[in-house]
Amino acid sequence: MSTAEDLPVLGAPVDRVDGPLKVTGQAPYPSDVDLPGQAHAALVQSTIAAGRITDLDTTEAEKAPGVLAVLTHHTVPRLPRGPMTSLGVSPPAPLQDDRIRHHGQHVALVVAESREQATAAARLVRVEYAPADPVLDFDDPRAVSVDDPWGLDSHRGDVDAGLASADVTVDAVYTTPDNTNNPLGLFSTLAAWEGERLTVYDATQWPAMVRETLAEVFGVPEVSVRVLSPFLGGGFGAGLRAWPHVILAVQAARDVGRPVKLVLTRPQMFTSVGHRPKGVQRVRLGATADATLVAIEHHSTSLLAVEDDDYEPFAAGSAVAYACPHVVTADRQVRANVPAPVSMRAPAHAQGNFALESAMDELACALDVDPLELRLRNHADVHPALGLPWSSNALRECYAVGAERFGWSRRPARPRSRRDGHWLVGQGMAGVSYPWYQAPSLARVTVTADGGATVASSGMDIGTGTYTVLTQLCAHLLGLPLEQVRSDLGDSDLPEAPQAGGSGLTSALGSAVADACERLLGALLELVRDDPESPLHGSDPEDVVAAGGGLRRRGDPGRGETYAAILARHGRPQLGADGASTPAQPTELGMALAGAFGAHFAEVRVDEDLGLVRVSRVTTVIDGGRILNEKTARSQVIGGVIGGIGMAVFEDTITDPTTGRIANATFGDYLVPVHADVPDLDVTFVGEPDRASALGVKGVGEVGLVGVAAAIANAVHHATGVRVRSLPITLDALL
Amino acid sequence: MRTFEYVRPDGVPGALAAHAGDAATAFLAGGTTQLDLMKDGVLEPARLVDISRLPMRGSTTTGAALRVGALTTMEELATDPTVERRLPLVREALLLGASVQLRNMATIGGNLLQRTRCRYFRDPAVPACNKRAPGSGCAAVTGPARMHAILGVSERCIALHASDVAVALVALDAVVEIEGPGGARRVPLTEFYLEAGGRPEVEHTLEHGELITGVEIPLPPEGTRSGYLKVRDRVSYEFALTSAAVALLIEDGVVRDARIGLGGVGSTPWRPRAAEAVLSGAPATPEVFREAADAAVAGAWTVPGTEFKVELARRTLVRQLRTVAEVTR
Repeated sequence: MSTAEDLPVLGAPVDRVDGPLKVTGQAPYPSDVDLPGQAHAALVQSTIAAGRITDLDTTEAEKAPGVLAVLTHHTVPRLPRGPMTSLGVSPPAPLQDDRIRHHGQHVALVVAESREQATAAARLVRVEYAPADPVLDFDDPRAVSVDDPWGLDSHRGDVDAGLASADVTVDAVYTTPDNTNNPLGLFSTLAAWEGERLTVYDATQWPAMVRETLAEVFGVPEVSVRVLSPFLGGGFGAGLRAWPHVILAVQAARDVGRPVKLVLTRPQMFTSVGHRPKGVQRVRLGATADATLVAIEHHSTSLLAVEDDDYEPFAAGSAVAYACPHVVTADRQVRANVPAPVSMRAPAHAQGNFALESAMDELACALDVDPLELRLRNHADVHPALGLPWSSNALRECYAVGAERFGWSRRPARPRSRRDGHWLVGQGMAGVSYPWYQAPSLARVTVTADGGATVASSGMDIGTGTYTVLTQLCAHLLGLPLEQVRSDLGDSDLPEAPQAGGSGLTSALGSAVADACERLLGALLELVRDDPESPLHGSDPEDVVAAGGGLRRRGDPGRGETYAAILARHGRPQLGADGASTPAQPTELGMALAGAFGAHFAEVRVDEDLGLVRVSRVTTVIDGGRILNEKTARSQVIGGVIGGIGMAVFEDTITDPTTGRIANATFGDYLVPVHADVPDLDVTFVGEPDRASALGVKGVGEVGLVGVAAAIANAVHHATGVRVRSLPITLDALL
Repeated sequence: MRTFEYVRPDGVPGALAAHAGDAATAFLAGGTTQLDLMKDGVLEPARLVDISRLPMRGSTTTGAALRVGALTTMEELATDPTVERRLPLVREALLLGASVQLRNMATIGGNLLQRTRCRYFRDPAVPACNKRAPGSGCAAVTGPARMHAILGVSERCIALHASDVAVALVALDAVVEIEGPGGARRVPLTEFYLEAGGRPEVEHTLEHGELITGVEIPLPPEGTRSGYLKVRDRVSYEFALTSAAVALLIEDGVVRDARIGLGGVGSTPWRPRAAEAVLSGAPATPEVFREAADAAVAGAWTVPGTEFKVELARRTLVRQLRTVAEVTR
């Protein structure tokens, strides 16, 4: 039978198969879904950051028009915390006691006939607090810290000796602020019980996890819980956990015996569904005079909630970014009375890369060597920690192609040497080595009586093109036209797939779909091989290919039959096969598993007097292994670069230092790039299919964001001579 | 649900009567501020008097002034031929002031009366706000306050007046036309606004129940050059960190007439008359511009988050003076 390598058609820039649904408003996003008889809920949130509730008076709220119930810690039964997932612990269960752990913590949920009634009544809930002095920042002596939270701290060689042997060293501290994921779609949960059966339409990137969590928290079998997330208005990681508001909506639906819909407000999105946590990083680099790295030391501290965890090893990536004999990376987290952080597009790496790639630029300046040349001289030809060859690595090609497209060779070496009127013009670059990630996945592929096929999986399309690439993949593997393949996604009743996150879904789910297609073709072949009525009777499997909507003899396409004909003759309405994929094991392969690589080249203009920073050009080159759809992959990288521009010069979730209240929790006050802030973005893919992945795919969901902040910061230095080590880079730092 | 009465009277007298000095009544025009604040629970009027269809829309040029009806939209005024030809600073302030969607809704009268964007004012969960709850204190002075004011403020309130076009209009000595139960009156815009230093909850001299019916904008002398510079982190769709409206009449290299408005810095649209005095009769040189800018921000009152604005405001004004005067060296 044929395999994926034989299929050159993959990669075509096919339009999104769900595009027409989206642009005509027919795609049911979570907050669009309504059920007959549904009630609406609104949250009441804490206005202190630490302490206790001393009195919670719901009398007025309960009397308000349309109110059905008010949930508080007095009414909600003791619920267990959700399970440990492959990404870590579940958030604490909501409304379990009178303790306040952060500003914006849910303290009550009002359920009413309409959303307006619920919102109005929520303002009538009177909460009295006994406030405590909150811990809000790293430097609070009362703060509890956690060293090496994930066991990822690394040591290689002798970093002190390496630094001592260096001709040139850099020692700098970099800070990054809280950023908020802020998907455009407000997160929404619609929960409906029918007896012990629970159906939930949820804004999640991981339906299977939400199902498991709800089953455990509410004490029902997993098979009786169905979680649907067929479309999502963005997530950027915020949809990777079953948040307290999800639990509350389900509890409320049980309490009032009706479906309950809860849609968060924009300010609530800042405190309820995570954020990229702020951090402080110290990087020490040492190099010999010939620009050879001899030491990398990277320490990070990031902020964490008091009773929750988050995976943010800022420094870990620095252990494998460059060939270097002496390396130390160490991460630490400090607990504070802040809302729980969560993965936000390229968690840890977005922040860690900013520090490392800024320090590399500083080192290049100190060595008086071109920043690109410094990176090439220290390129990790093999995995720096394992010493194994990479399963794929086109980082050098990223640098070469990017430099050529951008015109890097024409960049003057000295900072502050180009201007255009009152604009100082500068150029900077950064490299990215994104880590490999993959989780096990299942999928089912079914051919039906009409001759078409369906892909089914609980995995969801966060908006990046999963529907499209799975449809493409299945169509190619089964020899069907695109329009005869449908993908059903985002339904926990379907075969379990991992989260849309970690840049790992396409490889995991795509491989499972490929496996299912192969098994399905095998089953079809079994049917026809022993069937005297089939034109393929007695054929050797090696001589049969999937083409033209069915099975054909290789080299003799006239001899074969369609799937519809096979199913009809055998009296089957459909024939399906389950497929699975498991992550590759590096030791078995003798290869280091490579994630995506990339290089960004940025040009900025800085107003000499006013400090205004404008990004005028970004060239990005990505090695994502095999690209299944050039169009959706490019869109994804463009989105990543825009997210990187936001991180570099705009995004800053500001917490009031005394109250713990987020001071800019609206889209008017929390700045993300608008169209006018985004220049033309030049995105190119290079590289070969990855050798360790069945499809050769490496995810591109996050790599596009990583490195943009450093490239821009380095360009700002080149433009102005001012090194800004704190994000976002705003005019205040450049006056 | 919080309910309110909605009425849409015919004519200005009907609107005034429907308002009738009732403290719980508010006028509704474009609604771009009023409705936001109601949704946020900051304003809770018992009655909204919709004036949006009253005959107070459109502009006329008469001799030396442009008279603008209060319900003229920002977009309509920005494309008015007189504004395009004679008042570049007004046009630019309008176009930089809001997205086209907002400009099509928001009215000039409403723009002048827009409330501060201070996030402490706009969140009723914050207890300390002298503007919202007189005497309760100010949470912004000890909080992160990058978007706050440095002129006409005190520890009682550092809220910013966020209008762009009002900055241009104070520079031009625009006059507000008002009708109320006590009859009609005219107030120069420079005397219309009240600084936040004393009673932050009182922002202007409009009495409750009075209605702005129009604005008269004196046209600067022929030969005057003008423009509006808005400095902000984003290219578009953001309130000003600082801004400067400048109109200059320069003859033989000497400034004959200087009009300046500063935005992003004041509790009111700021008219730095001391800076105008420095410029008046002086040569149009960078040194003089810098001296004027120093005078413009004299008396600034800052908190840690707003300290940078003093220098930024200076540089913004110098840049705009140089741009308008075409002094490039």
